[in-house]
Amino acid sequence: MPLLEFAQWVQSTEFFTAIRESWYVYPAIMSSHLAGIALAGGMVLMVDLRLLGLAMRKRSVSDVVNQLRWLKWAGLAVIVTCGILMLGSKAEEYYYNIFFRVKMTVLSLILVHSLVFRRSVYSKVSEYDKTGKIPGRAKLAASLSLILWTCMVICGRGIGYIEPPLDKLHARVIQQQHSTTESVNRSHVSRVPSAIVWKLPDTHGMRSQMERM
Amino acid sequence: MFLAIENPLNSSELIFPTLECMHILGFAFSVGTIAIVDFRLLGLGMRHQTVGEVASDLAPWTLIGLALMLTSGPLLFSSDPDMYYLNWVFDLKMVLLLLAIVFHYTIHRRATMPGTSALRSKVVASISIALWVGVIFGGIFLAFI
Repeated sequence: MPLLEFAQWVQSTEFFTAIRESWYVYPAIMSSHLAGIALAGGMVLMVDLRLLGLAMRKRSVSDVVNQLRWLKWAGLAVIVTCGILMLGSKAEEYYYNIFFRVKMTVLSLILVHSLVFRRSVYSKVSEYDKTGKIPGRAKLAASLSLILWTCMVICGRGIGYIEPPLDKLHARVIQQQHSTTESVNRSHVSRVPSAIVWKLPDTHGMRSQMERM
Repeated sequence: MFLAIENPLNSSELIFPTLECMHILGFAFSVGTIAIVDFRLLGLGMRHQTVGEVASDLAPWTLIGLALMLTSGPLLFSSDPDMYYLNWVFDLKMVLLLLAIVFHYTIHRRATMPGTSALRSKVVASISIALWVGVIFGGIFLAFI
């Protein structure tokens, strides 16, 4: 099944439709995604800054790296779970989003990073304690990690700035009904429409008409 | 006097998203480092160190994060004050933020000192996490209201 059709199918499922159609569930998931970034992001930063010799210098490298490892992974699991929920509910929109594609590329680079440096850096940190020196490749790993995660943040924020191609989406865009400050609502804070309702594709191959209500 | 269109911050499309990224990195530093202390208070992570050691190690980084956050935040606000001014979620976020910062430098700081009971540590850590997560929820929800 082509990726686009798969995306359309995923977002049409009852579960993801329910997420999309509720005005508060999607922002709640997005908030949890951000909360996860705050909780786990600090650990990523501190581990990398320790490897660079900048933070927590009174503690041994292995203390910082090993003691934050599982907590960091738990936080990343929250981030990924929320990310998948957001992706599933607006899969077709994400399919067309260039920042989302770049973000997934960066994410795969992060996976490559962890595969490359797990053995050569992260499982060798107790050696750094003994020698008292942090080798260049550990600093390289930390720097790359900081750069990659910063790119993730930039791309993540960028996703919200891409106008969805309304003529291509097999979905009907509904504007928020509950808005209390409609006249001053800034469009560029969240350019992604708040709720998109799945509509079956036209059998004649015509794109379903987008209606702004 | 404060018209959004006259604000130099609105002269380039890139300024607002750049500030937003700074804001996110800022709270990854501040909330992230506070969370490490909170998890330590809960008995998770960094257990080879005392709570006080973890807290003093991280305090400067928390401050750097707060500085980033509290610089980018008001600048974001200034790009369109009317929108935020009329937004009740923004008001709620500001109340939570004030509470979180005051809590952090008073009750939370005291809980990192020796002699704090296990129960008190856990309650303080939970309140701290709840306040900061509340601030983050406020930041997202104000754009959806």
